[in-house]
Amino acid sequence: MPTIATEPIIKEIHVDAQPETVFAFFTEADKLTRWLAAEAATDPRPGGIFHQTHRVEGVDYLLRGEFVEVDPPHRVVFTWGFENSEIGVGPGISTVEVTLTPSDGGTHLRLVHSGLPEQARSAHDEGWDTELGKLVRTLAA
Amino acid sequence: MQELLEAIAEPRRREILRLVRSEELPAGAIAANFADVTRPAISQHLRVLREAGLLAERREGTRRLYRARPEGFGDLREFVSEFWDDRLEVLRREAETEQRRRHHADHRN
Repeated sequence: MPTIATEPIIKEIHVDAQPETVFAFFTEADKLTRWLAAEAATDPRPGGIFHQTHRVEGVDYLLRGEFVEVDPPHRVVFTWGFENSEIGVGPGISTVEVTLTPSDGGTHLRLVHSGLPEQARSAHDEGWDTELGKLVRTLAA
Repeated sequence: MQELLEAIAEPRRREILRLVRSEELPAGAIAANFADVTRPAISQHLRVLREAGLLAERREGTRRLYRARPEGFGDLREFVSEFWDDRLEVLRREAETEQRRRHHADHRN
């Protein structure tokens, strides 16, 4: 079944910290574990690993991404996908682009997450075909 | 979204969702499937699932009937969008803390 990408998700926030400070939170493992992941391993250069474990109530989700662009402290791009097939976003499928611009003594952060697959929904089983629905079915099987 | 993930992280709650996926059941019939779980604990699980939007409750006389609400799962894009809202808020806090720490360190040197 062909997968159709959804519209990108775009988030923009202001952070009262310098771009250099914010940038490190996307590339350094010991900073990624402060906001995004329970465990992280990174090699911040194009083709380098961007691996994380996300933990929700004791269930581990293994993110297996790669850095695509690393331009400190302006821009970092990485792929975003999970080894757990029930999530429905495999490694390399989607891409996150982060752009940092100095603004008001701090940083304007723009995050664009593109390439997320549109999920198949069947009329009789709507909802259970969503990613979380699949997850529940897998876990409850 | 955290609420939703926490709701389904508990194995017995997933089992409850499976039981009421294709048929509506009263609380008693649901509880009968769990010999090792107390009735108040089952009520608590039902409440968590209801509050997460995953379970619909209907009263019939004195009975309460439950069925799964798969539409409560929403879609992937919405899930990821809320995920980033939550995470970026934490990032902002941590980066600002880090910045203050550096600022103090610079002033000491």
